[in-house]
Amino acid sequence: MFAVWILLAFMFLYIIRTVQGPTIWDRLLGMSLISVKVIILIVAYASFSNRGYLLDYALIYALFGFISLIFIAFFILDRTRGNK
Amino acid sequence: MELLGNIVIVIGLVFMAFGALGLYKFKDFYLRLLVLAKIDTVGAITFMVGIIIRHGFSFFSLKVLLIIVLFLILNPLTAHIIARAAYLSIEGIDEESDDGTGGR
Amino acid sequence: MIYVLLVFWIISGILAIQARKLIRIIVYLAIFSTISAVCFFVFGAPDVSMAEVAVSSFSTVFLIVCFEKYFTLVTEVTKDPPHKEKLSKRARKFILPACFTAAIALLFVYFLPDGTVNTYLRDLYLYRFRLDVGGENAATSIYLGYRVYDTLFEALMLLISVVSVAHMSWRAETDETDAHFAGVTKSDTVDVYTIRILCPAMLIFGVYLILNGHISPGGGFQGGVAIASFFICRYLIYDVYDVRFGKIMIFEKMTFATLIILAVLFVFLGVYIQLPQLRIPYLLAMNMLIAMKVAFGFIIIFYRYIAFERR
Repeated sequence: MFAVWILLAFMFLYIIRTVQGPTIWDRLLGMSLISVKVIILIVAYASFSNRGYLLDYALIYALFGFISLIFIAFFILDRTRGNK
Repeated sequence: MELLGNIVIVIGLVFMAFGALGLYKFKDFYLRLLVLAKIDTVGAITFMVGIIIRHGFSFFSLKVLLIIVLFLILNPLTAHIIARAAYLSIEGIDEESDDGTGGR
Repeated sequence: MIYVLLVFWIISGILAIQARKLIRIIVYLAIFSTISAVCFFVFGAPDVSMAEVAVSSFSTVFLIVCFEKYFTLVTEVTKDPPHKEKLSKRARKFILPACFTAAIALLFVYFLPDGTVNTYLRDLYLYRFRLDVGGENAATSIYLGYRVYDTLFEALMLLISVVSVAHMSWRAETDETDAHFAGVTKSDTVDVYTIRILCPAMLIFGVYLILNGHISPGGGFQGGVAIASFFICRYLIYDVYDVRFGKIMIFEKMTFATLIILAVLFVFLGVYIQLPQLRIPYLLAMNMLIAMKVAFGFIIIFYRYIAFERR
């Protein structure tokens, strides 16, 4: 169970990086790292409480977080390219 | 079996701790992207392998294996997309251009 | 653990409020919804958590599309004068810690009284839902059995929003309803091939969520969003793509009509009580119809935003 606390500490570090990141890409990086940590947190929670159906959430978090992230990346890229 | 699984989980956490350290130590953005691309993927996969070892051969482990496969596809792809977008957008790297008021 | 997550939640919410650039606000909002989903999850509301993740992903996509459009519009028209700073730099430095301490004090006050809440209705639902509605998931039995009126009105709200989006968006050069647009290939080969591998996984996962909606967590809305995300990813990977808006909108309205007829027939006219063997097919059919409705609605909104009123 101590692993969950360490994961939460990592999440705090990533949030600080996201806040002070000098560029927008650093913020995106921190966001994706936080979503990865959330997925691992859910897997750990499902493992420690021994409930298998909770793993579906990890799958759906991975897929949906990925979609939002690639859309942000593509649209910022499109904007900075188009207005050059 | 549980002790072995716990040891592997701790190894995964150590990998992720190195990643969190590197996130503050590296000065360049592309170096920081290494944390997402390699270190965090390795850490997550090691963590989940530890959980598989803890649970033995069951349906639970199969689902965790599916998540590992998804991670192997998604995480490097995310890093690739962010790196490519950051490389191609010359203006976006300094944050002057994205204020919402539209003053460019 | 839950206290730490709640503190993170508050921090990210404050960040989203006090950020001064729109793109940062979008990123912070995504983090905020992710953490709030975990909070719902830990508090024991898995269906709400899944719906929150789906909504957060799609709201991020819609916000970023709108943001890009707004930016191109504004740069064409005028250049705003830089607004004056109301607070000095020193004062702005103290806002975040002050908000943080206030939030922690609020949390403390919230958790301080340990009074008992009246749980009569919850006990009733948990005791009776297998007899009354059927299925294994209590949340499904509530939103398709006890509160089916609410579900119908939520579907109506989605229909109204889709109609309003279709009404407001226009295209200057042609006024045809079907869009045939050659999408700019923003992705390179690696992205295209990997997303092509991932798309069927999304579709299979959506179908799994819909068909298991009455047994395990999940349901119509979440499965519909997964299916819609499959169609949205097609925008990224194909160069030339046809969207027949007219047909999709007609399908959506027919789905809504079928939803209302089914609900009225089963719940309000009492077929539900007389024929208990039809309960599981009813739950499956309702979940499927809701999923189709949500998927069609989100596809229409997304492609209208993308293809119409651009540049």
